[in-house]
Amino acid sequence: MIQLSKNYSLPEREIETIPIKVAGVGTAGSNALDRVLLDGTDKSDLIAINTDVQSLASSVAARKVQIGRAVTRGLGTGGDPELGYQAAIESADEIRQVFVDARMVFICAGLGGGTGSGAAPVVAQLAREAGSLVIALATLPFSFEGKRRAAQAQDALTRLNEIANAVICFENDRMGDMVAPKAGIHQAFAVADMIVSQSVRSIVNLIQRPGLIRIGFDDLFAALRSQNGKCLFGFGEADSDNRAHDALKQALKNPLMDKGKMLADAARVLVQITGGPGMTLSEVEILMQELGRLVRDHTQILFGTAVDGRMGNRLSVTIISSLTAEAEIAAHSSLAPNEPFLAPPPPILAERQEMPPPQIEIKPAPAAQPSPLSESFVPSEEMPPVEPRPEIKKSAPAPRLIAPKKKPLKEPTPPAEKTAQAKQEVLQFEPVTRGRFEKSEPTIVEGQDLDVPTFLRKNIRVK
Amino acid sequence: MGNSDLMVGLEIGTSKICVVVGEGRAGGTTKILGVGQAPSRGVRKGEIVDFETVMKCVHEAVVDAEQKSDVMIRSVYVAVAGAHIQSFNNRGCITLPEDRDEIDDQDVEDVKINAREVSIPAQNAFLHSIIQHYHVDGQDGVLNPVGMLGHRLEADFHIIHGVRTRIQNTLRCVKELPLEVEDVVFSALASAQVVLTQHQKNLGALVIDIGGGTTDYILYVDGAVKQSGALGVGGDHITNDISMGLRIPMARAEKLKTEEGSCVLGNCLPGETILLKDDSGFAGKEVEREGLNTIIHLRLRETFELLKRQLDEESFINYVGAGIFITGGCSLLSGIEHLAQDVFEMPAHGAHAQTMSGLTSALQNPQFSTAIGLIKYAQAVGADRPRRGIGRMLGRLFSGIR
Repeated sequence: MIQLSKNYSLPEREIETIPIKVAGVGTAGSNALDRVLLDGTDKSDLIAINTDVQSLASSVAARKVQIGRAVTRGLGTGGDPELGYQAAIESADEIRQVFVDARMVFICAGLGGGTGSGAAPVVAQLAREAGSLVIALATLPFSFEGKRRAAQAQDALTRLNEIANAVICFENDRMGDMVAPKAGIHQAFAVADMIVSQSVRSIVNLIQRPGLIRIGFDDLFAALRSQNGKCLFGFGEADSDNRAHDALKQALKNPLMDKGKMLADAARVLVQITGGPGMTLSEVEILMQELGRLVRDHTQILFGTAVDGRMGNRLSVTIISSLTAEAEIAAHSSLAPNEPFLAPPPPILAERQEMPPPQIEIKPAPAAQPSPLSESFVPSEEMPPVEPRPEIKKSAPAPRLIAPKKKPLKEPTPPAEKTAQAKQEVLQFEPVTRGRFEKSEPTIVEGQDLDVPTFLRKNIRVK
Repeated sequence: MGNSDLMVGLEIGTSKICVVVGEGRAGGTTKILGVGQAPSRGVRKGEIVDFETVMKCVHEAVVDAEQKSDVMIRSVYVAVAGAHIQSFNNRGCITLPEDRDEIDDQDVEDVKINAREVSIPAQNAFLHSIIQHYHVDGQDGVLNPVGMLGHRLEADFHIIHGVRTRIQNTLRCVKELPLEVEDVVFSALASAQVVLTQHQKNLGALVIDIGGGTTDYILYVDGAVKQSGALGVGGDHITNDISMGLRIPMARAEKLKTEEGSCVLGNCLPGETILLKDDSGFAGKEVEREGLNTIIHLRLRETFELLKRQLDEESFINYVGAGIFITGGCSLLSGIEHLAQDVFEMPAHGAHAQTMSGLTSALQNPQFSTAIGLIKYAQAVGADRPRRGIGRMLGRLFSGIR
């Protein structure tokens, strides 16, 4: 036995890596792409797709596709998703070509503008038709960018949710929290790009790295499957003495994690720990224990670990999960009876559905088909337009296939538990509560005795 | 020592008593010679509740200051605070006699007296009447009307008043030491003298002085005081809240607040705890950091919101161009600027005395802003005013200070 293990070496898997492409759609998308390139990904092709020639020219991506030559004549879309959509349709063949040999495609797009919102769903659709798995990384605009953009972004997100296998959605507003208040605005945007890049790289690594406990596409999609695209993502890396703790701490610092609080609501959490040959079992144990404290007992943890010589002294943690709880309950209770589970695609789409996306490696297939669109649809168009359409919105939390084992976990026991706890805590305080100001003249402003602690007057539970 | 340029500021605070000794130099500059302080007992919410104890503490602080600055203190400027202090704006008006149309000093004095002829509650006394602007025959924004031609002279004043007996309590405490009281100054007005530059006053600024027992504020717009007041809530309330919320003794709560407290929420890991070491008579305890921060956050947010509602009664807050300056001991709490920024929706800064030379360590501590401000106030007022007896202290009008 011992001799055998001595001769045994990890199989060389570099040759059989999965061809991965990363496409940046629109200016925000190609900015994110640049960042991915600068941070370095060795095993993926980068493709910039844009209407705006200037922006395309400044991109450092290896492959560039200018879309909508006739529609926009090399200019941007001026924030009109309809134009972005038409541009993508016009250049459908070119886009299809770049995805020919891909097995997995990341689509990075900043939603809210014209190209990102309009073209990204089309690009996703084309990539799926070419037979790849599609993961969309979308950023939602800052709230100060206006309601119109937010609405456009939401519509595009809904479309992406319908088409892509998984959508990771970043809210720019949350990125703002990561940046010091005095930092320049470019830094806030840079942080968004950085996090997109980080997620692309860590997901690529997740799938490419040969693991001791391997995480496959199936695990990834199980963790990412969500209705509203609210994704939790965290990545941390450390090489200190206490690297297991530090890496986890860093991963939880990610704005999408909300310091790990959000994990409590997640049904599935994917955790991948990668380290150099020096990574010990106890480190993994410590890390998982700490993480275990943040999730609930019935949360399913999809755990993977890999040893990578290039990591050297470092240890990295990737946490991926999605928040689905309320959305799914809502979908089950209210929408499910009204709408068929997998609605037949609209007739206009039929010609494109000739070669339906082969569902490789996804065991519980997340709904691939777009949900029904309205009848008011213009027949001359090939694909559903992305202009704001209330009907689309309504079908946004369209029911998807949900693994049956998930359902019992979601039953409304946790909220009940919560309220009961809160009540008890409040009752613990004594009724007379002015403390050291007991004997002094009360300070009464606006009818409230300010000497009584604020948290008592507002009835806020303090641990 | 007989040094007539010696100026001493005395602040009887809720948490500490502080004496700052300054020396006026040629050219209008001031040098801080020394700072004496003593922990305060017998003061609640900025007002004296135990006369004897406070006297002892003041004596202690004065002796400390005398030793450190090597001077003999005979007279002091005293800062007063407390929730009883109120303010309002009033306009005085006089008409010049028919045969004369040049405004002279006497007219300016008359208009000040006229502006003061308003009814304040019977038990109250005037603390300050601060000139905002003069108007000559309807012409706005006149800064000095002496020598101008006109028939109708009006003046806008900001009047600060407080309960007479409470102010007198403070004075008596000092006089029994015995020290002579040069002047009584509202603490936020004193703080503003050193926290703000003239330029910031012109731009418009709000100074919030959060001390141990009270939160005082003063609002400058166009270089003039427009609003001021006090709220009987301060750092002691935070400590009390912590003590009650986490069920730990006051002394530990105070220590926890200054060493670990922050008013930023959601900045720590869930379940992150602080270990309080055991001590004689205290068993030691582990408290949740988030709980601590929540208590502080809620109290300070409420305080700021109350202030904002008071300030919103008039529209001056909208004309603030330089932002908010938070000073006083509580301004050392981490994240307080962000909270103020959040509530008032304008930039906020932690601030300490800036415009003097001398002991820099004393200047850079926001706890001393008020006491140092008294020196600056003394310098501004003392230059054009001979010494006056204590009997005329209350109800007098000062206009030299802006």
